[in-house]
Amino acid sequence: MTFDFALARENLPALLNGAWVTLMVTFTVMAVGAPLGLLIAFARMSKRRWLAAFGAAYVAVCRGAPSLILLYLIYNGLAQLDIVRHGWAWLLFQHAFFCVVVAFALNHSGYIVEILRGGMEAVPAGLVEAAAALGLSPRQILWKVRLPIAVRYGLKAYQNEALLFMKSTAAVGAVTLVDLTSAANEIFYLTYDPFTPIITAGVIYWVINFVMRTGFGWIDRRLNRHISAA
Amino acid sequence: MELLSFGDKGYGDELFYGALITIQLAVFGYLLALVLGIGLGLFALKGKGPRWWAFRAYASVFTGVPSLLVIFLFYFGGAEIVRSVLAPLGVNLRLDVTSFQAGVAALGLVYAAYLGDLIRGAIVNVPKGQFEACEALSVPRRHLWFDVVLPQALRLALPGLANIWIVLLKDTALVSLAGLNDLIAQAKIAAGSTKQPFVFYTAALLFFVLISTLTMPAVRRAAQRLDRGQRKAGA
Repeated sequence: MTFDFALARENLPALLNGAWVTLMVTFTVMAVGAPLGLLIAFARMSKRRWLAAFGAAYVAVCRGAPSLILLYLIYNGLAQLDIVRHGWAWLLFQHAFFCVVVAFALNHSGYIVEILRGGMEAVPAGLVEAAAALGLSPRQILWKVRLPIAVRYGLKAYQNEALLFMKSTAAVGAVTLVDLTSAANEIFYLTYDPFTPIITAGVIYWVINFVMRTGFGWIDRRLNRHISAA
Repeated sequence: MELLSFGDKGYGDELFYGALITIQLAVFGYLLALVLGIGLGLFALKGKGPRWWAFRAYASVFTGVPSLLVIFLFYFGGAEIVRSVLAPLGVNLRLDVTSFQAGVAALGLVYAAYLGDLIRGAIVNVPKGQFEACEALSVPRRHLWFDVVLPQALRLALPGLANIWIVLLKDTALVSLAGLNDLIAQAKIAAGSTKQPFVFYTAALLFFVLISTLTMPAVRRAAQRLDRGQRKAGA
């Protein structure tokens, strides 16, 4: 059980390339997942029964299934369907990166739906009534009152989900993308050193995790300036 | 549908045995995490002393890296880790770590960090009066923990325990990447030999969705039982 510093230094560039892929996947999915989650959250809270049922089913499937299965389903499974295989969509679905983004965005947005819904339902009724009494339109109430407050309420939960999801991107190696984990894996198969590459990758993950957590802490303080005891 | 039937024609039985392995892995992993988590929670209970910092360091490491990486670490390096831990004790042991064992150990250690935090928080939130009352009545320590504090902490920790169960269940899928023949691996084999991946991956997906959905009513039942004796607000 030894850590080989020379080997770690030699393979650092390969691992950093992997870390770059991990970061690209993470931030692309976060950028796609947030608007998607918002859209589905509206469906989930809709008064129309079928829309609400669709939202509930979306959440149950996307949140209940491991992202690895969603990934296999989209990367390998969709190719079985002729509409996908022979249609224009194939131009997109033949790329591993695109499939990864779709699979993880489905999973990630399922969580965002519940976080936003919980946040919006927690907005005190009095605030919404006050806004209506001041003559704000329903649209203004949603965008200027309910959503900003819901985001504030949900930030901690979103932070937990974003950090869990960043770590779950380690599974993308299963569909040929060389991220940080699979870069470490490749080095293991070349050197048969089970500790050095994996522990180095672990340190890099830990740093990414730490930076993201610090960033969320900064956003949290900014959004809650009005209640922080300065 | 014939593809999913049992027997020679379909892959139903293969998938079924794969699902059993997935469930076993999740249950053993969770039990290990629970035992370690309670241990860590009690170990770090007292304020910000050295024990609390030791627990923070443990939790920071295991919540800061993906479980897949820990699974690989134990699968590839597990035998060497066990050997070098036992060597100072004079035990010279050569063993192979199976992917199932590596999975249980990795999930157990990773989720012990999450559960330790949760359980510590729950115990801290049990009213102080309960401890003082026990002392005043000179209730033995064993009864203090097992009959007074832990049942109340369980009530507080229940939603978090259920959440972590579901997250852990989904993480078992990763152990198939270390070569475990679980549900995912079986679905992959079936998909490969029939060229019908969509069917098998959907079946595997529905299995996970079903278990997560069934967890909710079970938790509600348990919550009702643990909430007996609690006054409802506004009642």
